[in-house]
Amino acid sequence: MYIYNEVDQKIVDERVAQFRDQTRRFLAGELSDDEFLALRLMNGLYIQRHAPMLRVAIPYGLISSVQLRKLAHIARTYDKGYGHFTTRTNIQFNWPKLEQVPDILAELAQVQMHAIQTSGNCIRNTTTDPFAGVTPDELEDPRPWCEIIRQWSTLHPEFAYLPRKFKIAVTGSPRDRAASQVHDIGLHLVQNDAGEVGFEVLVGGGLGRTPVIGKQIRPFLAKQDLLSYLEAILRVYNLKGRRDNKYKARIKILVEAMGIDAFRDEVDAEWEQIRSSELTLTDAEIARVKGFFQPFEYDASAAADTSLQQKLANDEAFRVWYERNTHEHKVVGYRSVVVSLKPQLEPAGDITDLQLEVVADLAEQYSFGEARSTHEQNLVLADVKNADLYAVWQQLAEHNMARPNIGTLTDMIVCPGFDFCALANAKTLNIAEQINRTFDDLDYLYDLGEIRLNMSGCINACGHHHIGNIGILGVDKKGEDWYQITIGGSDREDASLGKVLGKSVAADNVADTLKKILETYVEQRTDEESFLDCVRRVGVDPFKEKVYAAAH
Amino acid sequence: MPLLIDRQIVSDDSWQLVEEADALPQSGDLLLPLALYLEQGATLGERRVAVKVNGDDDLAPVLDALDRFPMIAIEFPIFRDGRGFSLARKLRRAGYQGELRAVGNPARDQLGYMERCGFNAFQFADEAFSEEFLNAFGEISVRYQGSSDDPRPVYLQN
Repeated sequence: MYIYNEVDQKIVDERVAQFRDQTRRFLAGELSDDEFLALRLMNGLYIQRHAPMLRVAIPYGLISSVQLRKLAHIARTYDKGYGHFTTRTNIQFNWPKLEQVPDILAELAQVQMHAIQTSGNCIRNTTTDPFAGVTPDELEDPRPWCEIIRQWSTLHPEFAYLPRKFKIAVTGSPRDRAASQVHDIGLHLVQNDAGEVGFEVLVGGGLGRTPVIGKQIRPFLAKQDLLSYLEAILRVYNLKGRRDNKYKARIKILVEAMGIDAFRDEVDAEWEQIRSSELTLTDAEIARVKGFFQPFEYDASAAADTSLQQKLANDEAFRVWYERNTHEHKVVGYRSVVVSLKPQLEPAGDITDLQLEVVADLAEQYSFGEARSTHEQNLVLADVKNADLYAVWQQLAEHNMARPNIGTLTDMIVCPGFDFCALANAKTLNIAEQINRTFDDLDYLYDLGEIRLNMSGCINACGHHHIGNIGILGVDKKGEDWYQITIGGSDREDASLGKVLGKSVAADNVADTLKKILETYVEQRTDEESFLDCVRRVGVDPFKEKVYAAAH
Repeated sequence: MPLLIDRQIVSDDSWQLVEEADALPQSGDLLLPLALYLEQGATLGERRVAVKVNGDDDLAPVLDALDRFPMIAIEFPIFRDGRGFSLARKLRRAGYQGELRAVGNPARDQLGYMERCGFNAFQFADEAFSEEFLNAFGEISVRYQGSSDDPRPVYLQN
C-alpha cells in the first residue's frame, strides 16, 4: 500500500493544527456557525442527532493492521467502543466530543490517516474494487490510479467549494464492484484497439433525490491525461453547476441540463487549454506510485496445500462459509476472504474495538498486514493462503464476523437511519433487524441466490436503495415510518435503477412484503435465473400483484 | 475597508467602486462591475479602470482585454460560492499579471486557497477583518497539486 513520505506526513500534521485552531476559534466565538460548518465538514465532522459524528477516510478502502488498531483505540478512547463502515469505504464514529476531535485527528495522523474531505462540497474519497490487484478478472490494478487521484484531489485549492459533493470511482475489471456508474465520475481501465490501457470516462451518475446512471463522456483517455481531464471536468462543473438549490447542484443535473454532447464540448475546450501542462502525468511518477502496489511475495508452495480440501469435506459450516464468503484469487493457492459485518443482530457495517483488533491481527498474521473495506460495508482480507482459511474462519466465527451471508439477502447495505442521522426521515436499523429475524434460514437464502438489498432512511440515498436488486426507502408519513420498495436495481456493470413496486408499506409489514416478492421470484424464475434477471424478464407487475393482492 | 496586498496590510486604496453610470466621478481610479464597464468602457479614454466580475459573468470580454486592467476584482458573495477560485485560475492562465483581488466576503480560512489560485489581494468588510488573518497563509506549507502559484505537482517540486 502507499506509504507516506515527509510531504504526505506534513500535510496531515499541518491539517490537524489548522483544524485545531479552527475548532478553538469556533468555541471562542470567533468563527461563525456557517463558516465552521463548511470547514468542519471538509474534515469529516457532522453534528448529528445525539452527538458529533466523525468520518475518517480510508483511501480506496485500503487499510493496514496498524491503522485498524488505531481505529480500535479511537473507538475505545473517544467513542462508545465501535465504529461504522460506510458505502464510501470510510469509517465513522458516532459519539466523539467536538473538543476532542483535534486530538482524534492527531492520533490518526500518527498512522498516516486523516478525515480530510470525507464530507463537504469537495472531492471525496475515491473508491474502487475491494478485490483490486488480486482478482483474476482484472485488466490492471486500479489502486495506483486511486492514489494519484487522492494526491491531486487532496486540499485542491480550487475545488474545495464546489456546488456539491463530488465522488469518483475507479475499476480495473470488466466486473464493476465499485458502483462506478452512479458516481459523479466513473473511470474504467480499458484497452483500446491499439492494445494500450487507458480510461473509459463516465460522468454525471449519482443517487440522492434524482438518481442517474453515468454517461460516457470519453471512450478512451490516455493514462497520462487523467488529471488534466479530471481538472477540466471539475472546472466546468465548479463554474457552471447550479448553486441555487442544493438538490439540483450535483454534476448529474448539469450534465442532464446541458446534454452530454454540449457538456463534453465544454470540457474539451477547457481540456485543450491545460492538457499539455504540468498536469500531464510523467511515466516516472506513474511508475513510482505503482511501485507501492506491487504484488506481494506469494508463497509458491501455497498451491500444493491439500488441507483445505480435507477441511471442506469434513466441516460443513466451514464449507458453507468458504463458498459464500471467499473470493477467487489470481494466485493459485490463495483466496480473498470477505469479513461479514452483517451479523444477525447488529447494525450493518458496525464493528467493535475488539473486532477491529481481531481483523488487524488476522491481517497481520495471514494477509500481509492489510485489509480492505467494501462499499457493501464489509471488510476483505485479500491474500489468505488456502491452508490458513480454516484458522481465519474460526477466528472470525468466534468474533461474529463469519456469518455466511455475503451476496445474499441479509448482506444488506443499510445507512444508520433515524437512530443516528439528523437527515433521516425513518428508522432503518429496526427494519434490518426485522428482515434478519424473518430470513434466518440459510438454505432458503442460498436458494434465493445473489440478491443485493439496500436500504436508506431518507431520499439522500446513503444506503444506495435505488441500485439494490431490492431497494427500501424510509419515508415519513404524518410522523410514522413507511417504506417504499423498489425492485430491479443494480450497482454492477449492468447498472440500473430500481422501479417502484407500489405504495409504501408500514414498518411492521416490510419483511412480509419481501417474503411475497421472493415467493413471486421463486414461482417465476427459470433454471439458474437470478432475482435481478427474473425481474428484468417478467417486469414489476407479477410482484406488484402478489404484494398488493391481499389488501383488496 | 481592510485590504491585504501581497500579504501586507495596505491602507491606501485608490480604486473607487462605482455601480451606476450616472455616478461616475470625474477623476480617479474606477472599479466598475463588468456590465457597467462594457457599457461605459469606450467613453473612459485613458482613465485607469478595474473590473469586478462574479460567477455569473461571461469572462470572455475580460480575457480579451487583460492589459486594460491594472486590477481585477472577483466577487465572493457567500462563503460557499467557490466559482471565484476557478475564475482566478482562468485569468492567471491567460497571462494576467495585475492585481487580482478577492472582494465581497472572502473568509480567513479561504485565504490560503485563494492565494494558490492566483489572488494576491483581499478586501474585507470592516468588522470581518483581524490582523490575525495574516497567519492563514502559512497553515499548509506543502501541496500535492500544481495551481496558479506554482504549476508543478509535488513530484516535480524538487
